[in-house]
Amino acid sequence: MAFAWKASGLTYNKYLSVAARVVRRSLKDDKRLAAERRGEMDLKMAKWKNGKQGEHQNVADANAASMAEAAGSPAS
Amino acid sequence: MLSRAVRPALKAGAAASVRPVAAPAATYATLREIEQRLKSISNIEKITKTMKIVASTKLNRAQRAMTESRQYGKTSNNVFEQAETKPLESEGKKTLIVVSGSDKGLCGGIHSGLSKQVRRMLVETPDADLVVLGEKCKAQLSRSNSKNLVLSFSNVGKNIPTFAEAQAIADQISLLPGDYASIKIVYNKFVNATSYEATPIEAFSEEAIKESPNFSAFEIDDEVLTNFREYSLSNTLFWALAEGHACEISARRNAMDNASKNAGDMIGKYQILYNRTRQAVITGELVEIITGASASEE
Repeated sequence: MAFAWKASGLTYNKYLSVAARVVRRSLKDDKRLAAERRGEMDLKMAKWKNGKQGEHQNVADANAASMAEAAGSPAS
Repeated sequence: MLSRAVRPALKAGAAASVRPVAAPAATYATLREIEQRLKSISNIEKITKTMKIVASTKLNRAQRAMTESRQYGKTSNNVFEQAETKPLESEGKKTLIVVSGSDKGLCGGIHSGLSKQVRRMLVETPDADLVVLGEKCKAQLSRSNSKNLVLSFSNVGKNIPTFAEAQAIADQISLLPGDYASIKIVYNKFVNATSYEATPIEAFSEEAIKESPNFSAFEIDDEVLTNFREYSLSNTLFWALAEGHACEISARRNAMDNASKNAGDMIGKYQILYNRTRQAVITGELVEIITGASASEE
């Protein structure tokens, strides 16, 4: 159990993106605007089951939900 | 009263010289039709020209992003090359195919090229699962292989892909319930400004990394390995997204270039047809006037 973020259900990618966001936000104003554009993410996704498309949902929400779920269970 | 009897026949003759199928009375209508057609074609030409200009301005930025991300992906793959990692060929485990397309059309055959490549791969491994990025490829693959689809993403490729997008997609893929022996990412490889090629790249699973012959050269704990796999997946995805994006833009530029050229050709043809028809109408009218005049002289 080396990582505190792993215990709270985050994946390494999420951990990285949170760290990157913090760095971007602590930049000076002029550079921050350019940098924050690189951190934008506005994807939508849908799960498929047996050849049928499921509901559209925001990827950010879906990620947050699944991570909250992973936080409840004991981290692997 | 000869003239009245002759008139329809003359008109028919005038129309027939231009368009043999046209009805006798339709000469004036076809003239207007041709004019309308001309106008609409030149409007289309304007649109395709504008799209071409937009695509060419975007192309530079997309290509720069591509070379950067390619470097990024190659560096990350360097580890696997050093470790001589090979895809596992274990029976019973599934393969995951990630298709890196985009939402927008009007860019030649890049989406259908991807879909064809994926279908070829699905013939070899019929039980592989599919993750599709982008609406266009989703529409094509859901028609033929909807049973294999497990995830689809849209809103991809509106802008230059960011690493945050690649991370989010990689997260969703690693959260998939299935245990995959190998993950193949199919993307359009940028060969040069006019050609591209649908190519699969491999993203390795944990076991594959562990089994690689030169693995002991790196001192990696098992716990870190999961992180490394997730991270390298998003690296590879980012690479594929950026390169696919550059391909799409350059393909769109070429497609729009060709479309503008074709529209130019059509405009030339219709202009000639229009002028000929107009002359034929004028000649027809003159003949009518002369015959009318000579009839009233008698």
